[in-house]
Amino acid sequence: MSAENQELTERLELIESMIAEGRRSTAKWAWTIVLWGVAFYVAIAWSTGLFGGPIWGQHYMAWPVTMVGTWLLNVALLRRMHRSAKAPMTTVGRAVMSIWTAMGISMFALLLPLGLSGRADQQVCVAVVATLLGTANAASGILLKWPAQFGCAVVWWLASAASLFGTVTQSTIAFLVAIFLCQIAFGIYAMILESREQRRQGAANA
Amino acid sequence: MPELPELNPVIHGKLRLALLSLLLGVEEAEFTWLREKTGSTDGNLGAQLMKLEEAGYVAVEKKFVLRKPQTLYRMTEKGRTALTEYVSALKELLGSAI
Repeated sequence: MSAENQELTERLELIESMIAEGRRSTAKWAWTIVLWGVAFYVAIAWSTGLFGGPIWGQHYMAWPVTMVGTWLLNVALLRRMHRSAKAPMTTVGRAVMSIWTAMGISMFALLLPLGLSGRADQQVCVAVVATLLGTANAASGILLKWPAQFGCAVVWWLASAASLFGTVTQSTIAFLVAIFLCQIAFGIYAMILESREQRRQGAANA
Repeated sequence: MPELPELNPVIHGKLRLALLSLLLGVEEAEFTWLREKTGSTDGNLGAQLMKLEEAGYVAVEKKFVLRKPQTLYRMTEKGRTALTEYVSALKELLGSAI
């Protein structure tokens, strides 16, 4: 290869490496998966009367209060971390965020009127939540080319079907198991991957 | 014999090319982030970003966040087009070598 071609090839490689570097997110977000898993468990425990006390006695408030509270906490913590990390929002990051925001709004727009109108049925509600979570996980998994996240989508869809075909107890068990696998276990797995990637990047930049 | 394309001299500089490539994948980036990713000095980085700004390839926004000054850079549509054309020209010049 001539010296001129060598230089042009280097330019092409520089473009590719810088695009990849720019897209590599330095923001930590995997904790949000675990946060929402814990929020689901808190809402379930509150709504089924596992917590005592005057406030916890208001079972009808369990889901709206827990979900809105978790959303506010999530937004506040993400903003704080984004500011301190000085990490720019990537195009892929924006796409993933739009999927989860749209899913959250859809869930709220559907479940709140369902609850207020008295048409909510536990098994149907679990199926709706599980299907929507399956959709968001599948879309994110395809976008990020991450089979493990697509696997979570399959678990949520199976939980949705189990909720509709099983008894109320089986529906609850399916929901609890899906939360554990797709929010707690998958979230911790994603956090481990994230910290490994950051260590690798730190070593590369040193 | 077909004429070979010329490479855009504004983009061809290594640091300017790296900056445009970095900005391609993000919505906007802080000066400090660009400095960290390119390993450049403040003076050189500022000068190269100014050249890109003068060419209309990047847009600059200065603001204060929590009373601290922040300079944000974002790629313009003109910059995106110029980089795409540069890559096409580069590939054409390299031809079968790649």
